[in-house]
Amino acid sequence: MANLAVVTSVAGSSSSSRTSQPALEARGVTKRFPGVVANDAVDFDLARGEVHTLLGENGAGKSTLASVLCGLYRPEEGQVLRNGAEIRLNSPRDGLAHGIAMVHQHFRLVDRFTVAENVVLGHKSLSFVLATNDIEDRVAAITQEFGLPLNPRAVVGDLSAGERQRVEIVKALYQGAEVLLLDEPTALLAPPEVENLFVTVRAMTHTGKSVVFVSHKLGEVVDISDRITVMRGGKVTGSVRRGEADVRKLAELMVGREINIVPRRAKSPMSDVLLSVSQVHLERDGAEILSDINLDVRAGEIVGVAGVAGNGQRDLAEVIAGLQTPQQGNVTVCGTPTARSGALGARRAGLAYVPEDRLGTGLAPAMSIVDNMVLTRERGFLVDRKSALAESEQFIRQLEIKTPGPLTPTRKLSGGNAQKVLLARELFAVSGARVLVVCSPTRGLDVGAVEAVHALLDEARDAGKAILMVSEDLDEVMTLADRVMVLYRGKITLEQPGTHADLERVGRAMAGIAS
Amino acid sequence: MNSNIWLLTFADAISIATTLILASLGAILTERSGVINLGVEGMLLMGAVTGFLVADSSGSLWLALFVAVLVGVALASVHAALTVGLRANQIVSGLAMVIFATGLSQFIGKPIEGDPLPVLIRPIDFGALSDTPFFGPVVFGHDLFTYLTWVLVAAASFYMHRTRPGLLLRATGDAPATVDAQGGSVARIRWVHTVVGGALMTFAGAWYMFARSAAWNQSATTNGIGWIALALVVFASWRPIRAIGGAVLFGFSLQVPFTLQAEQIRILPPTILAMFPYLITLAVLVALSTPRARRLLGAPKMLGQPFVRDER
Amino acid sequence: MIVLGYRVRMEQRLSTPRSLLVMVPVFSVFFALVVGGIFLAATGHPPIGTYLKLVDNGYTSFYGITDTLGLATPLICTGLAAAFAFRMNLYSIGQEGQLYLGMIGGAWAGIALADSLPTLVAVPVVLLFGAFAGAMWVAVPALLRARLGTSEIVSTLLLNYVALNLLNYFIFGSTGFFRDPTTSFPQGRPVAESARLSPISFFTDKVTNTYPTFFIAVILAVVLFWLMRLSNYGYETAVYADSPNTARYAGMNSAWLQSSVLLISGALAGVGGAMYVVGPAGKVDPGLLQVGLGYAGIVVAALARYNFIAVIVAAVLFAGLRTGGNALQISSDPVPIAIAVVLQGAVLLFALGGELFRRNKVTISRVQAAAT
Repeated sequence: MANLAVVTSVAGSSSSSRTSQPALEARGVTKRFPGVVANDAVDFDLARGEVHTLLGENGAGKSTLASVLCGLYRPEEGQVLRNGAEIRLNSPRDGLAHGIAMVHQHFRLVDRFTVAENVVLGHKSLSFVLATNDIEDRVAAITQEFGLPLNPRAVVGDLSAGERQRVEIVKALYQGAEVLLLDEPTALLAPPEVENLFVTVRAMTHTGKSVVFVSHKLGEVVDISDRITVMRGGKVTGSVRRGEADVRKLAELMVGREINIVPRRAKSPMSDVLLSVSQVHLERDGAEILSDINLDVRAGEIVGVAGVAGNGQRDLAEVIAGLQTPQQGNVTVCGTPTARSGALGARRAGLAYVPEDRLGTGLAPAMSIVDNMVLTRERGFLVDRKSALAESEQFIRQLEIKTPGPLTPTRKLSGGNAQKVLLARELFAVSGARVLVVCSPTRGLDVGAVEAVHALLDEARDAGKAILMVSEDLDEVMTLADRVMVLYRGKITLEQPGTHADLERVGRAMAGIAS
Repeated sequence: MNSNIWLLTFADAISIATTLILASLGAILTERSGVINLGVEGMLLMGAVTGFLVADSSGSLWLALFVAVLVGVALASVHAALTVGLRANQIVSGLAMVIFATGLSQFIGKPIEGDPLPVLIRPIDFGALSDTPFFGPVVFGHDLFTYLTWVLVAAASFYMHRTRPGLLLRATGDAPATVDAQGGSVARIRWVHTVVGGALMTFAGAWYMFARSAAWNQSATTNGIGWIALALVVFASWRPIRAIGGAVLFGFSLQVPFTLQAEQIRILPPTILAMFPYLITLAVLVALSTPRARRLLGAPKMLGQPFVRDER
Repeated sequence: MIVLGYRVRMEQRLSTPRSLLVMVPVFSVFFALVVGGIFLAATGHPPIGTYLKLVDNGYTSFYGITDTLGLATPLICTGLAAAFAFRMNLYSIGQEGQLYLGMIGGAWAGIALADSLPTLVAVPVVLLFGAFAGAMWVAVPALLRARLGTSEIVSTLLLNYVALNLLNYFIFGSTGFFRDPTTSFPQGRPVAESARLSPISFFTDKVTNTYPTFFIAVILAVVLFWLMRLSNYGYETAVYADSPNTARYAGMNSAWLQSSVLLISGALAGVGGAMYVVGPAGKVDPGLLQVGLGYAGIVVAALARYNFIAVIVAAVLFAGLRTGGNALQISSDPVPIAIAVVLQGAVLLFALGGELFRRNKVTISRVQAAAT
């Protein structure tokens, strides 16, 4: 109740301008992280009762802007205004006091608690003794008002991702939120749950609440949004209203750009097919993750798999690497079927794999470069560190890896240097690996490191390796790939030659729009 | 077979259960906040010996109990400082606490070894009520603190499940990051409950000294009751009310060997009977191992894990 | 933070200087002695004099050091057992029960098998059966952990008490295989003479309490140290301990790693119990229950920061406190042996407090008077 009082007093002080002033506004917001300008003088505004979508690829700066608006980050420059009056937010609690709440992509819920308990946890106005029935009634009232089917007594651990998201939304509403920021709300939802979410969003705007919808899924947001603002590289590149929303134009704003990086393509003719995936189906917990995947990669070729996060890319990579076993279909590495022989079987057949998560998966963070060099090779009863040491020293020189020495733990290396260690191991140190699967190889790296990593991959292609590159960074795919594929909801929906790829069609396919 | 002796065994089990309930209640509060304190046995001994020493010199039971509680606060504060403050390994710190407290209790208890108790905790005289069949010994045969313990369990259960700080406590053991994000202080919640839990443990030791023991007999005084209390926490699936039933069951199995001996009944050797509480608890642990049961009834998810805020 | 006009500043360290690895244990022992000294002085015993006597009786006199090495022998084993599991973030506290089972398993082999065997075969057989029994005692917790993810902390703790009662049953509760049939006094049946080792006399004609098993324990520690450093198994457990995701990525079998580490840990503690059989006891001896070598093993391992070689040093330090304390009790000015236990606990508590300095760089400077 205390929160509501604050909200009304803020609203009350500017009630005369209430209709004309935006519910929430950012003016010239700049937010820097070490090495990156995540938001560069961004202007953004949200009217009362409006759904305003922030659209952009990963790293475009949209989540950062949302975090600034809810009080999680403090901007270096610029202002945040609520109903026309400047507000200073030092924490998400301050944001809540102004009726602004963010629903994060990763839920912060207690599995063992009921829905009602989760909703009221940490709520300031809660009485010492919990009036459980009363709380459950109020939670039920909110769920009914906004079309969020939820049983307040259900245990959160038993709920699906979509239902958990509803709990987060109910929690924000219970705390008196008037402005809701939803960060990638559809990322974990099945299609029918997305529909439910849209019903809720409409119900909220009907009662005068405003919603910021942060997403990179172009296809989904057009219907729900009153306005769409596109961000790229920390800047706003354009904004359209409902009715003007032209999918082609949005795709262009999102991904269409002058490519100022020199493309690298295969210089020598490709030869045999080294990696072949046929009719792969993967299900998990009854949900279809991958369906009917067919692809071949030849020696001396890079095949790029584009797509926005969460469309099955990671699972595709893990199936090929032998870390997940598909229910149907085959994977062949250098002529050996490997789909059912595990990670070791895939490696023995000649596969190397660079996962997206460098430090937590590809490398053992507390162990030295030398120890990490032997991670994916055949080891006898004793571990041969002597040759690994010589190898490490050689790679440190050749690839200009910046480190105090080969015995330094990998967690002390910068992202770019850690990636060089990982690539060096998978590309060169593993004997006989002729096929490489690499995921988002340059995510989070600075420009110099990106160049170095791309040069390494190019070199490996020239050396006759077959490379499958899965990346959410379309620039990267367009720069390196000899063939481009798009993965959308577990299916390959588009395949084009890298040299003549139609960027617009690729962008639309990534957004799930059939062309 | 004399049915009366079984009744008395049962009444005795209820009485002995008081220590188990108090100690495991202390452990439940501690563990629900995500801290495991394995030092229960040492805390019981320190409570017993300091209670004895204070009562010996002052003649006051109340002062003795009060000082025992203070000792629990002090010892548990060391554990909290090491594990919550410095994020030291909770298992190692708890075991160090067992060794330190056991040694210290024996060191300062040396002069009073074998002495008669200076004060006693006696059952309340309910007059004629105490003579009623069954209810007499079972319900009306106990001392003030046994009844207070039952009330305390009800209060603790209410606190944990029906109050705002109780909600935060349970959330802290399961999802400290969520509590932190809501503006709660994980460190403060863990400190407070570890210290209160420790106070309950030493109080349990002091009560046991004055109500159930004949004399201070070094580490044999409590004879492993602290470890049983830790098993009881699992048996009760971290819920205070269930600890009562478990404590009576465990107390019964502790008492039965004596009764069998007195009655000259040989069904099972007492040493085998003494395994039962542990084997039953192990069975409960296995039964709680399905994913859903573990989520609902199992250990607090972050039990034993130091909390570090995600830095970005 | 400002204390008494001094500014105490703490910064997180990225790496720990080597000097601290020595300084923290040394200061832990020093401060533990100070705490113990306070209690000694308060009870009317001269601290320095008592400590000198303790050192002499525990470490420097001939019988002192030989008693200490004898007591350290099973302690090294339980220390190795704890270190082995804790390094993998498996917090098994079942060494106490595994130790008892090792004694029972070893004694069984010593009674049933060793009669017809020469010592050179009989002793290893007894030790192996002890190891096997110790491993079996942790099999259920290991299986639960690897298959269902059940916490090994509670399951191993519970089994300690089952083991304790099992041991009591064999000696006090029944007149079966392990009970000495020649007397009505409850004690264990002696193992075959061929399964016993004689104490080491260290080139004197004195009878000591140190048995050759001490050297077996030391060799075990050294072998483990190098094996875990150089072998593939040591490498895989290190990767798993550092990052389970990385281990999965590299195709390692996590269920196998977890259960095998627990089983080997149990075997190490079990060997300690069997060493008690071939050494001083020669039978199932409930006297072992009084010593608490299993829990002490965890403390020793923690003090050694789970380093196998350092376990030897920590175990000898701990055992010396105990034997020194024993001797204090029977001197002219008897000091309770419990002072040794107090010191043991205090050393570890201070060592844990030393984490503060290991993780943070603490600087203390005078607060400058504010310019007005």
